[in-house]
Amino acid sequence: MKKSSIIGIVVIAIAIAVIISTYSNTSTYGSFNDAKATKSELHVVGQLNKTKELFYDATKDANYFSFYMKDNKGEECKVIYSGTKPQDFERSEQIVLTGKMKGNEFHASKILTKCPSKYTDEKLKVTEVSARKSANL
Amino acid sequence: MDIIFKGEHLLPGQLGQFFVVLAFGAALFSFICYFFATQETAPKSDNSWLRLGRIGYWLNTVAIVGMGVCLFYILYNHYFEYHYAWSYTSRELPVYYLISGFWNGQEGGFLLWMFWEAVLGNILIWRAKSWEKPVMTTLALSQVVLGTMILGLQIGSAHIGSSPFMLLRNSGIEGPIFQNANYLDFIKDGKGMNPSLQNYWMIIHPPTLFLGSASLVVPFAFAVAGLWKRRYKEWVQPAIPYALFSCMVLGTGVIMGSFWAYESLNFGGFWAWDPVENASIFPWLILVAAVHVLIVYKNTGHSYFTATFLTLVAFVLVWYSSFLARSGVLGESSVHAFTDLGLFWQLVIGILIFLAITAYLLISRFKEMPITKKDEETYSREFWMFVGAIFLGLSCFHLIVVTSVPVWNLMFGTKFAPPTDPVKHYNVIQASFAVVIALLSGFTQFLKYKKTDVTRFFITTLIYLVFAALITGLAVYATGFYKLHFVFIIVMLCSIYTIVSNGKILADSFKGKYKLAGSAVAHIGFGLLLVGALISAGTQKVVSENLTGEQYSVEFAKDENPKENILLYKNEPLKMGEYMVTFKGDTIEGASHFFNIDYQRIKEGKVTESFTLRPNVIQAQGGMSSTPDTKHYLFHDLYTHITMTNVISTAPQAEEASHGEEGDDKNYDAPVAHEIAIGDTMTYRDGIIVLKGLNKNVKLQNIPLTDKDIAVGAQLEVITHGKTYQSEPVYMIKGRAVFDFGKKIEDAGLKLRFTKIIPGQTVADGKVEITVYQQPESKKKFIVMKAIEFPYINFLWAGTIIMIVGFFMSILRRNKEVKTV
Repeated sequence: MKKSSIIGIVVIAIAIAVIISTYSNTSTYGSFNDAKATKSELHVVGQLNKTKELFYDATKDANYFSFYMKDNKGEECKVIYSGTKPQDFERSEQIVLTGKMKGNEFHASKILTKCPSKYTDEKLKVTEVSARKSANL
Repeated sequence: MDIIFKGEHLLPGQLGQFFVVLAFGAALFSFICYFFATQETAPKSDNSWLRLGRIGYWLNTVAIVGMGVCLFYILYNHYFEYHYAWSYTSRELPVYYLISGFWNGQEGGFLLWMFWEAVLGNILIWRAKSWEKPVMTTLALSQVVLGTMILGLQIGSAHIGSSPFMLLRNSGIEGPIFQNANYLDFIKDGKGMNPSLQNYWMIIHPPTLFLGSASLVVPFAFAVAGLWKRRYKEWVQPAIPYALFSCMVLGTGVIMGSFWAYESLNFGGFWAWDPVENASIFPWLILVAAVHVLIVYKNTGHSYFTATFLTLVAFVLVWYSSFLARSGVLGESSVHAFTDLGLFWQLVIGILIFLAITAYLLISRFKEMPITKKDEETYSREFWMFVGAIFLGLSCFHLIVVTSVPVWNLMFGTKFAPPTDPVKHYNVIQASFAVVIALLSGFTQFLKYKKTDVTRFFITTLIYLVFAALITGLAVYATGFYKLHFVFIIVMLCSIYTIVSNGKILADSFKGKYKLAGSAVAHIGFGLLLVGALISAGTQKVVSENLTGEQYSVEFAKDENPKENILLYKNEPLKMGEYMVTFKGDTIEGASHFFNIDYQRIKEGKVTESFTLRPNVIQAQGGMSSTPDTKHYLFHDLYTHITMTNVISTAPQAEEASHGEEGDDKNYDAPVAHEIAIGDTMTYRDGIIVLKGLNKNVKLQNIPLTDKDIAVGAQLEVITHGKTYQSEPVYMIKGRAVFDFGKKIEDAGLKLRFTKIIPGQTVADGKVEITVYQQPESKKKFIVMKAIEFPYINFLWAGTIIMIVGFFMSILRRNKEVKTV
C-alpha cells in the first residue's frame, strides 16, 4: 500500500475520532427538571428572579453567592455559586448557568450573564465568570 | 419638517463618507482593470489596463488614509454627534487611548485591515514584477469586499456595511432628545471606553493582529495566481517569505493578545480557550502547516495539492474567524465576541466568495497540477514534515469543530451546548496533537533532505530522546508536574525533546550549516513555549485560599470547589500562603481606582521580602472592570486581582453624608460604655484602648470657654493589629448644658465618645465613662481578592520571542532564494 493512502486512512480515522469525542463532550441546554434527572453537568438558560433574595455577604463568606433563577420553562430553583457575585448581576436579563443539581439546589460552576447596555437596548454586553477559573489540567 | 440641528460638525463626516465611497469605488475599478490586465493575451500590449489598475489601487490607498485622518480628527476633537466617537470615547480619555478608541469598534477594525492590505498591495506593486497583475487582482477584490463592510448604505430596511461616520441621531437610537435642534448641548460626554480596553497593550495588539490577518492574503493571492495563470510551480518560491511573514506577525499578535489577557483581564490566565481566541489561531495553525508543505514541495516536488490547498484555506479561515468574532453567532458561548452590526450575511458572503475561488481553482485545475506518482522516501525529512503539517491541520480541525458548535446549531437546527468543562476538553485533545507535533519537530531535524543513513539516524534520535527524558524527569519532579494527567507529561517530554534536538541543529549551524539556523531557532522557541504553557497552566496555584469562610452546609463543604477568594479588611493583616497581606488603602487616579496591598514574606519572624501590589478597578460605561497587578519573578509570577469590594459603590453616595449625628450612629454596632480610670485598659473586638490621661486644657475651635465652663479631653491610645492610634474625645460643660465631642478613627473603624465624668473620693480615684462605637464587620472597608501563582510563565514569553526570531531568520534565508522574474 502506498504511504499516502496510509496517511489518508490515519487522517480520516483521527477526524472521525475528533468528531465523536466532540459529540460526546458537548452537553445540552436543559431545564432544572432535566438537571434533576441527570448527574452530569449541563447548561441552564433562564432569568434572575429579582423579587427574591440575592445573597452575598463577603464578610460571612467571600465565596458564597446564592440567588433564585427561573429557567425558560418557568421553573424556579435556588442556585449556589461558590465565588464572588459577578459585576452588575442584578441588571442581567439572561443568565446561562453551567453546573449540576445537588439536592434541591443547583450548584453552578460557571455563570454567563447578559446585561442590556446602559444606553442602547440593541447592544448586549456579555460577561462570564467561572468558579474554577484556574484551569484544571 | 426637517430640523436644522445646531452645533454639529458635519464636514469631517461628509469628507470621511466620501473617502469610504471612494475607497470602495477605486478598489472595484482597480479589481476590474487588473482582471483584464491579467486576461490580456496580446503579446505587445501597451499595459494600459495595468496602469489603470495601479491608479485605482493608489487611489484606494489615499482614500483609506483619508478615512483614517477624518475618523481620528472626529475622535480627537470629541465630536459626539458621531456615533463612533460617542460610543467608544469620552473627554477624559488620554490621547493614547483615543488611538485605541480608533479600533475599538468593528468599523475601525475593518479600516485597520484595509489599511494594512493597502500597504501590502503597494509593496507588491513595487516588487512582484510578473506576478503583479494576477496577485493584485486578488488583493483588489479583497479590498472591494472589505470596502462593502463600512459602506453604510441604506437600501430600504436592509443596510450594506456599517460606516464609522454615522451620526448619533441616525444610528437607530431613539430618543426625544433628537427632536431638539440643539440636542448636542445635552450630550456633554461620550460613553467612554470599555474599561478592560484601557490598557497600553490595546494600542499595539490590534494593529499587529490585523497586520497578521491582512498579510495572509498575499500567499493566497500567489496561489490563486499560480493556478489561474497555470504557472503551477513558480508561485511557491515567492510565496514562502510572505507566508513566513504572516506566520510571524499573526503569531506575535495572538501572543500579545494573550499577554494582554494575562496582564489586564481577570480570566486568571493567559489562555482560556474562548471561542474568539480559538478563532484567531485557526489561520495561524493552517498557515504554519502550509509553510512546511510548501517547503516540502519546493525541495522534492511532492505534496503539491496539499501545499496549495492549505495556503488557500488559511485565508478562507481568516474570513471565517472574522465571521465568528463579528457576527454575534458566538453570543452564548464567548465572553468577548462582538455583537452583530447587521453584517451577518455580508460576512457569510465574504467567506463564500473566497471559498468559491478556492474550490473553483482546485477543482478546475486539479488534472493539470504537478502531482507526483512516486512514493515518498520514509527516511526523508520532507515526509515527516508533511506528516507534521497534517497533524497541525488536524489540531486546527478539532478547534474548528468544537468552537463552531453555535454555527452547527444554527445550520442544522440542533441544540448542542459547548462542553461543560471546555478547558479540560481542549487541553486533553490538543495536548495529544501537541505530542505528535512536538515529537516530529524534534526527530525530523535529524533526517536529511531526501535520504538518510538509517542506523545513524536511530542512534542519534535515541540518544537525544534519553537525554530529553532525563531533563523531563527532573523538571517534572521539581515542579510537581507529575500530579497531572499523563498526556501532559508526554507533551512535556516531546517539547523538551524538540528543544534539545533543535539545540543540536543550532550548534551544528554555527559550524557552517547556517541555513538551518532559522528553523532550529523557531522550533526551540516553539518547544519552550509549550513547556512554559504546560508548567504554568498545569501547576498554577491559587494562593488566596480561604480557610476562614463559614460553612453553609455540609453539602457545600464537601463540594471540592476550592475557596479561592479571601476577605481583607483595611489595615488588618492576614496570612496568605507564605505571605502576610494587608489592604492598606485605595487611591483614585482618573477612572482607575487602585488598591494598595502590602505583601510581606516572613520567615522565622523576620520579614525577608516586602512589596506592594496595586490591582485596580476601572469604572466606565456603567460597569466595573478589575485589572490585576502582578509581581514578576524570574521563575514565577504572583498575580492578584480584586473580585469584590465595598469601597466603591455604584449607588449614589450623597445620602450617607446627610444623615447627621443620628444617622451616623447607625453605621456602628450598639455602643458599649466603659467606666475606667487613668491607666486602665479596655478591650474591644479588634484590640485594646488605654486611657493615658486627662487633658484639662482642651481648646475647642469656634467655642470660647469661660472660667465656669469645663472641657476635658480623654487621651486615648488605641492599639489594633500592631498599629497605634491617638485620639482625644472631649467632654464639656458649658453653662448648664453638657456636650461631648466624639472622635472617629476611620482607619480602625472606631468612634470614641467621652460621655461621663464620675467623681471619686479623691482626685486620683475619679473615673470617666468612654463609649466605644465600632463599625460592624460589614461597614468596615474591605476587599475580596484572589491571588494566583504562575510558575515558569517566563518560558512561555521567552519561547514566543525566540520563535519569532526564528521566523525572522527564515524569512531572510528564503527571501535570498527568491528570484522573481
